[in-house]
Amino acid sequence: MKKVININFQGRVVPIEESAYEMLKEYTNSLRRYFANEEGKEEIINDIENRIAELFMEDLKKNPGGCITDDVVDKIVASMGRPEEFDGDGTEAAKENNEKSFESAGAEPKASLYRNANDKVLGGVCSGIANQLKIDPTIVRVLFALITFGGFGTGFLLYIILWIVLPEKGIKATVRKRLYRNPDVKVFGGVAGGLASYFNVAVWIPRLIFALPLIVSLLSSVFRRSFFFDHDFGFPNVVFSGFGGTLTLIYIILWIVVPEAKTATEKLEMRGEKIDLESIKHSVQEELQGVKGRAQKFGQEFKEKAKEFGNEVSNKGKEVKDRGKALSTELTPVTQRAGSGLLHALGVLFKVFFLFVSSIIVLVMTVLLGAVLFLAFGAYDVKDFILEGNWDNILAWNSILFFMAVPVIAAVVWFIRRLAGIKSKSHYLGYAFGSLWLIGLVSMIILAFNIIRDFKRMASVKENVEIQNPSKGRMMISIDAPEGKYYDLKWFDDDDRDDPGIKFNANEDSMLLNTVRVIAVPSKDSFFHASITKYARGNNGSLAEGTAQKFQFPFQQDDSVLHIPSGFVISKKEHFRNQRVLLLIEVPVGKMIKVDRKVNAYGWFSVNVNQSGINIQSDDDWSEGSNWYKLAGKWCTMTEQGLVSVDKSSPDDQDTLEDGDDVEVQIDENGMRFYKKSTDHKDDRKIEIKAKDSSVNIKLNASENGKMEGDETEDVSGVTKKVNVYTRAMISVLDLLRK
Amino acid sequence: MNIENTQSQMRKGVLEFCILSIIKRGEAYPSDIIEEMKKANLNILEGTLYPLLTRLKNADLLSYRWVESTGGPPRKYFSLTEKGAAFYGELYATWNEMANAVQLITGNGDASFNQTNATNTDNV
Repeated sequence: MKKVININFQGRVVPIEESAYEMLKEYTNSLRRYFANEEGKEEIINDIENRIAELFMEDLKKNPGGCITDDVVDKIVASMGRPEEFDGDGTEAAKENNEKSFESAGAEPKASLYRNANDKVLGGVCSGIANQLKIDPTIVRVLFALITFGGFGTGFLLYIILWIVLPEKGIKATVRKRLYRNPDVKVFGGVAGGLASYFNVAVWIPRLIFALPLIVSLLSSVFRRSFFFDHDFGFPNVVFSGFGGTLTLIYIILWIVVPEAKTATEKLEMRGEKIDLESIKHSVQEELQGVKGRAQKFGQEFKEKAKEFGNEVSNKGKEVKDRGKALSTELTPVTQRAGSGLLHALGVLFKVFFLFVSSIIVLVMTVLLGAVLFLAFGAYDVKDFILEGNWDNILAWNSILFFMAVPVIAAVVWFIRRLAGIKSKSHYLGYAFGSLWLIGLVSMIILAFNIIRDFKRMASVKENVEIQNPSKGRMMISIDAPEGKYYDLKWFDDDDRDDPGIKFNANEDSMLLNTVRVIAVPSKDSFFHASITKYARGNNGSLAEGTAQKFQFPFQQDDSVLHIPSGFVISKKEHFRNQRVLLLIEVPVGKMIKVDRKVNAYGWFSVNVNQSGINIQSDDDWSEGSNWYKLAGKWCTMTEQGLVSVDKSSPDDQDTLEDGDDVEVQIDENGMRFYKKSTDHKDDRKIEIKAKDSSVNIKLNASENGKMEGDETEDVSGVTKKVNVYTRAMISVLDLLRK
Repeated sequence: MNIENTQSQMRKGVLEFCILSIIKRGEAYPSDIIEEMKKANLNILEGTLYPLLTRLKNADLLSYRWVESTGGPPRKYFSLTEKGAAFYGELYATWNEMANAVQLITGNGDASFNQTNATNTDNV
């Protein structure tokens, strides 16, 4: 059953089938083209049409009440002849005009290489070659592009040479199936869709081939943490290097070089279908419906998208992408109108760049979310120290889930949908996402405010500490581990820092903080003094002060040694409020003090909240406040300006043999001698080990303080025994020294 | 070399001459002309004929008039003008010369052919 229309043909009303009418129109158009340069062409065409009308009348007379069918038109056209078949005498011009003939009958191009003047992006070189080889010019172009990129421009040079050398000629296209990009099925540039049509496979197959290595390498690099850490600019490396990278490059080249199938003819060529009126008509109808459907889909998707994000932060990311797309769709007609292939290439590169930027944004957000979640798990135990009460807890979970997770989930969903080409009719998903995200945002803001509020005020409590002056006039500060068991809380694999971080005790209801600072200043009198100042923050002054008072920094004095713990304990009830301890030691000028090496393990940081925002300071090894890096573990003398380290070891220290103590060893034929030096050489200790014949003699000279004296002889024979004895002697000597 | 090309060229050469002959015999319209040609085993397409007729008309060798017809659109009936007749005469002479020459060269007997032509010439 076919549609019948009435046409006004040569002044008569002719009922004719729609399809037959199309054929007729095509025929007259071809005639028009054929006679385009002919003088009197209007008359000729009119005459021919007249003849056709006559034949129509005859046919209608034969079937009264009928109409002109395809068959009739076919027969008429066959008998009248198609333009190419005309014995054109003197109509060479008409022949040359007939490039767009339906069937490529006609003389074959001569068997030498030309540049194709009819089908050129730059100079028609590729399409000329393609014509010679009877393959799709697009394929030749892709090959040229690959050679150019891969061979560092050799393809380019080759192209220029060919451009200069080959003559130009108008060659008719002789290929049936051509490689196009399919605009109807595109996520990025329709490359995968076009390839799918050309090879007659499903669309997702080439898409998967392109996407899979890329995704795999992305994921693996994230897991290996080389994403950010290994390269300076890790992200593009992942995209552009390796197997996935090569595919990306190929995709971009294809995007630039392969043309988009816009007209019905091109679409048919893409699918390799026969190009005639029937198929063109079907294709056009399909496209019309497709356009409608696409407009609908686009409108829906657009609404959904706008709602899904409904907020500026993630909207920015989307906006860039959408704007990029809008810009690129605007650019595309521009690049076509400009007609030059170079512009088109640039346009594609532009599009790629936008895509790149927007995907970076989405990826960064994903990574951020991952990092935050990671932190959240790590900080779970710490959480209760910071947050007060249930309300805060709820807010915290809300923020993480909704604020961070929702945009990422939405982006992933959108991406998957685009890839699979699924349309979703409902806006509910978008609404739900958008409102959840808003809730998340609000709760995050409230939470932030709450937390900041709890750190607003700082208060301090100072305690003077009773110190007895050490009997020797020297003081040593030793840092010991506190009581109870504490576990390390290590979030990151920072193996290169021996900073123990924050520790927990077994019950998880108290935390061990090491925010301690030790400062040594000259004393105003000739006595040692010490004071402990405890800092804490809080909602208001009194709360802060209360918190400061609640925690203890216990210490112990043992004549000349002051024992302080490596950290102080705060309980969950008091919460973490940036508690700090400042230990101030006043050392009389001229006296010496030595601070345990472990003072460097203290990590001081302070959170300042003022009008200009939040300011976090922390002590590293280099900061001024605790310049213990150079001085820790060494004896220092207090001067007017501060502590000065003393290189040589001091007499009191003979009791222990420590790093950095000077021990001189002399070995000669007489034996080994150990000297432990002291500053005034009065207290030198000396140990002599002599071997005489087969006996070893050990003599110890001690000072008046130590009580070591000994003279031991041991009978040994044989060298090895001597060596053993030496070793054993050394060990026992050292033992003695330590007493 | 394509034989069809050469054959078509040969036919093209005599086309005008034949058409003018037909029209000379009496008023004719394009369909008629095609019929006649077909009868003489010289097939020609409408698309070739119409332009040719138009050219001849534009060169004042032909003239036409419209004749209404009952069953269809009006038709053009062509006839020779004076100029056309003269033109035809010259073509006829040329044809004779050429035919003789070809006969000679290809070695077909020429005597009877000449005589027939001579008779025709007289009737012009």
